[in-house]
Amino acid sequence: MRAEVLPSLRRVLRDHRRGFVIWAAALAAITVFYMAFWPMMGEEMTAAIQGMPEGLMAAMGYDRIGTAAGYLEAVVYGLLGPVVLLVHGIALGGRLIAGQEEDGTLELDFAAPLGRARLYWERLAAAWLLVTGLVAAVTAAVLVSNPMFDLNVSPANVVATGVGLGLLIGGFVTVAFAIGAATGRRGIAVGATAGLAVIAYVFRGVANAAGVDVYAALSPLSWFLQPDPLANGLVLASVIKLAAITLVAAPVGLWRFRRRDLMT
Amino acid sequence: MTTPVIRTHGLVKDYGRTRALAGLDLEVRSGEVFGFIGPNGAGKSTTIRVLLDLLRPTAGEAEVLGQAPAAGGPALRARIGYLPGELATPARVTAREQLAHLAALRGGRGGERVEALAERFSLDLDRPLRALSRGNKQKLGVIQAFMHEPELLVLDEPTSGLDPLLQHEFLDLVRETAARGATVFMSSHVLREVESVADRVAVIREGRTVDVDSVRGLRARAGQRVSLTFAETPDPAAFEVLDAVRDVRLEGATLHCLLLGEPDALLKLAARSRVTHWVARDLDLEDLFMDVYRYGPDGVDGAKGVRDAR
Repeated sequence: MRAEVLPSLRRVLRDHRRGFVIWAAALAAITVFYMAFWPMMGEEMTAAIQGMPEGLMAAMGYDRIGTAAGYLEAVVYGLLGPVVLLVHGIALGGRLIAGQEEDGTLELDFAAPLGRARLYWERLAAAWLLVTGLVAAVTAAVLVSNPMFDLNVSPANVVATGVGLGLLIGGFVTVAFAIGAATGRRGIAVGATAGLAVIAYVFRGVANAAGVDVYAALSPLSWFLQPDPLANGLVLASVIKLAAITLVAAPVGLWRFRRRDLMT
Repeated sequence: MTTPVIRTHGLVKDYGRTRALAGLDLEVRSGEVFGFIGPNGAGKSTTIRVLLDLLRPTAGEAEVLGQAPAAGGPALRARIGYLPGELATPARVTAREQLAHLAALRGGRGGERVEALAERFSLDLDRPLRALSRGNKQKLGVIQAFMHEPELLVLDEPTSGLDPLLQHEFLDLVRETAARGATVFMSSHVLREVESVADRVAVIREGRTVDVDSVRGLRARAGQRVSLTFAETPDPAAFEVLDAVRDVRLEGATLHCLLLGEPDALLKLAARSRVTHWVARDLDLEDLFMDVYRYGPDGVDGAKGVRDAR
């Protein structure tokens, strides 16, 4: 009986349960591993980076790396978290409709008595559950290691930063999913979304190094990190902008998905 | 008058600049087993995908159970069982999980028949799909199409990959399904696979229907090879003038000919002499179809066409 509720969503979770456990464990382990370096590096870090060009340090987001929050932001939330999660999440988003349409494994689902909109929302919701779970694993790892390695970052702000990270990753996953659903081509979905993610990184780097606000205004990564969530907690403007990625991409993808030919 | 279960009129489907369907007309009546025959690339799968609302027509009309596929939506597809031509299955799940999922997509309908059908087709439900052969995957495809006892079955090349024994079992299942009143629409690139179950057959070529007839009608048009051995050498000219007789050839005292239509006149003429041996063999319909493929509808349109094509 149970299985009849949200069958498509359940199916995606079933297909990815093993991968999810491995990814969650690996992400949590890497996070703890990086944080374990903080007590050793904290003091050295400030000295080590003094000789480096200021512009480069700013571009990398390392200008405040001498503080615990700065270290956490630069390493976990500015680099490791987004990059690993984006690589995984964009691949997932591209696969859930376009990839499985291309390899034919969705044909019977498409032919089943389930509307295209229903299939779309169930599979997108499943993608969100999966990436939210991974972001939660990173957040949990930070919360656990925070007292272990004396980072003294506010746990409430860690959670707030996790929310921002989740919205950022979920946004890119949704873009990949929506482009895949709109085109039926996994390559286009993954390629275009990865391109947008790279642009987001480059713009944030340029904005930090040169202090050009236009670039920061255009980079979702800046929307996430600029308000300094580890120090300030949730910032409404940041949440709205990050959520807007999903709220715009998802309906546009569905609009096209409902009108096009499948399995061509 | 009952609505046809499947009806297309002037159905056109383009993929970019390629025209897959060029004005296809089709009418499948309620309760019949309908064979949909054509060479690979003729547009069989495209037609079927339009019926399931996977593809949207470029022009023309398509109706399934009285509704356009897109307008009918999920409620319409709930009444259809579909077997794809090339069934791709996810690698990691078992056949049981996959069938449970497909039943769940139908609100649970059909789940209770999985065990019985799996036993009938001897499919091991607990092996991962990755480990299944093409034939076993095809069994899974057959089971999921029939399990919810739909009103209409749309089967794309259903017998491909099944061994002869299972083909036989499958054709029995088709007959049972038709006996309970369902309509079966099945495609194939070889007539032989459908001729034993199909009531009527449509032949398509390059996206158009080139011929529709009952299997019996096709057989009558294909004719029989008749050989009559006489006690004394007959006069071939006397046979050549008969309407239903073609290709008269004499070999010793044996007269060979092609019979199209009723044998009455031929038998009565032959009976005037003493006949010592006779053979009448149905022509293989496959030969006839090769001609339709090659020459189009005119190749079978009337006796002349058949003679010329041979």
